[in-house]
Amino acid sequence: VVTEFVFATAQYESGDWDSAPLVPANLIDSVARYTSLAVAPTGAIVSLASDDLFRFPLVFLTGHLPVRFTDAERGNVRRFADRGGMLFVDDHNHDIDGAFHKTAVEEFGRAVGPLAQLPNTHPLYSAFFKFPDGPPNTSHELNGWGDNLVHSHLLAAMRGDRIAVLYSNKDYSSEWGYHPDNKRFLSIDNTKFGVNVIVYALTR
Amino acid sequence: MRSRADRVRRVVEWTLRAIALAALVALLWRALRPPGTPRVDVAGADVTAALERWTMSPPGERHVLFDATPDQRTRDWLRALARAGDAVRWSSARPLGAGALVAEPASDPDASTTVRLVSSAGEPVSLGDAAGLIDTLPRGGTAAFELATVEGALRASGATFRATTAPRDSVVLRPVLVVGAAGWESKFTVAALEERGWRVAARARVAPNVEVTQGPLGTIDTSRYSAVILLDSTGASLAPELSRYARSGGGVILGGSAARAVGLSTLAPGGVGRRVAGVAGGVAGATPRSGLGAFRIVSLRPDAVILESRDAAPLVAARRIDAGRVLQSGYDETWRWRMAGGDEAAAAHREWWSRLVAAVAYAPLVARPGAPDVAVDETPYSSLIDALGPATALDRRLTRSIDPLAVDRLLFALLMISLLIEWTSRRLRGAR
Repeated sequence: VVTEFVFATAQYESGDWDSAPLVPANLIDSVARYTSLAVAPTGAIVSLASDDLFRFPLVFLTGHLPVRFTDAERGNVRRFADRGGMLFVDDHNHDIDGAFHKTAVEEFGRAVGPLAQLPNTHPLYSAFFKFPDGPPNTSHELNGWGDNLVHSHLLAAMRGDRIAVLYSNKDYSSEWGYHPDNKRFLSIDNTKFGVNVIVYALTR
Repeated sequence: MRSRADRVRRVVEWTLRAIALAALVALLWRALRPPGTPRVDVAGADVTAALERWTMSPPGERHVLFDATPDQRTRDWLRALARAGDAVRWSSARPLGAGALVAEPASDPDASTTVRLVSSAGEPVSLGDAAGLIDTLPRGGTAAFELATVEGALRASGATFRATTAPRDSVVLRPVLVVGAAGWESKFTVAALEERGWRVAARARVAPNVEVTQGPLGTIDTSRYSAVILLDSTGASLAPELSRYARSGGGVILGGSAARAVGLSTLAPGGVGRRVAGVAGGVAGATPRSGLGAFRIVSLRPDAVILESRDAAPLVAARRIDAGRVLQSGYDETWRWRMAGGDEAAAAHREWWSRLVAAVAYAPLVARPGAPDVAVDETPYSSLIDALGPATALDRRLTRSIDPLAVDRLLFALLMISLLIEWTSRRLRGAR
């Protein structure tokens, strides 16, 4: 008997936390498809201000709008990171001048610590699938949407040698926001990096 | 015609001669008399002076009245007297505390020392080292301390005893191997042990034939690992290897339902029963493990020792297998304690896991470099009984009120003084 992994999405007071509703199901499908991990068939939504946050050591957070944490949310995020939890944050705007990026970086800097570039040789990129060039690019980056940049690195706030906050400007929320059945139309499954994030969180 | 004063003087001289003669006769009689009823020499307050006196005297009956457990030097001296022919007995004016103090290296990566102190209930005891006072037990009893550092010798002092010890050994700790499916329990078990200072190797199964690994991996033996933790049944194929490892001295921890696996059940202290749920909200309370779900341990083997229970159901148990130890913990979600517990939960979770590992770890002893060269007296009361036997009530009728050597010295002094005065008196009046 192994506790099932439950994919949790963070709910926060400000912004549109539920802007990528198809991502959880898609990543759950990928985890079940490629690994033998016990994974719950449906995800969970957890408020950052709630004690329930501590039932889910990996939490996905996304949105387009400014991120302003309440005191309770900020305190919980700090405690969550200190206890060993990991937040995977994705900028749904894919825009480093956008409201989400500016405010989220500031909020996580206050709550957990400054975000810095994660080396592309980090174990995250080899936790399950191999990504020797670092984070895979998204079609939104390659199409020049958002900030018209292809981001070569992810950002991270660390606790020791462990990632406490993994921050992406690559808009995986859009890249992975489709029904899992449509993977059959892709020559390469673009959610594989999501499997790496989950396996890394479960093993490091 | 002699004057009256001259006559008195002569009478005094004759008296002095008589006294000297009597003292001489008494001394001769004391030296040559046949042995009579043995008398007992009693030493009380000044034992050292009595020991010196007894050492210079012929063998006899000795009785020492202690008001506190004697130190090692006194015990050794009395034991030597006993072996030289003295009949040495002892008693105490008040009950002596049976205190004991031991210090041994903890099987813990922070190189701490475990100090165990036992004293009679009711007797206040203080524990200290060369750096000063460490702690006190106002009412005595039993206590264990984990000390990060110890300066010089450790001393436990009570009203009736003083025990001394010093850490002399340290332990060699090797990495801990954690095996399980990738999941929160394996992740946070590894994290807890690493944060506590253990070197951890891990194998987390993520897919068939795919494992995420860390640390030094290789054959499971005591030269490589101090302990192996199997968190679930994914390590069942290691059962033969683990059996050899445990029998050769290694420590094995079977978590959750791992003991259900074929091959591992023969190692486990018991079987795996049904899972009991934790108390809602319990992890944030005063007894956080009550909030954790766990598998009951059933069908305990006769040699198993229960370490933790809930509602009379064993949840943690251990047993020895030849030179090694196997511990079975029914908990399978201790990570919830770390994540959702109170302010001290993460530290408590680390300590709990570290203690489990320390309880079974293969940790050979080596001499501690720079260990203090001190005389160790860990169990003064039992050492006293070992040296002199149990306490014996003193028969006051047999005690000597006067030291025989002192009597001899007194008689000799009387003899010499009498002769000196008699001689002086005689010479002063002109006689030879």
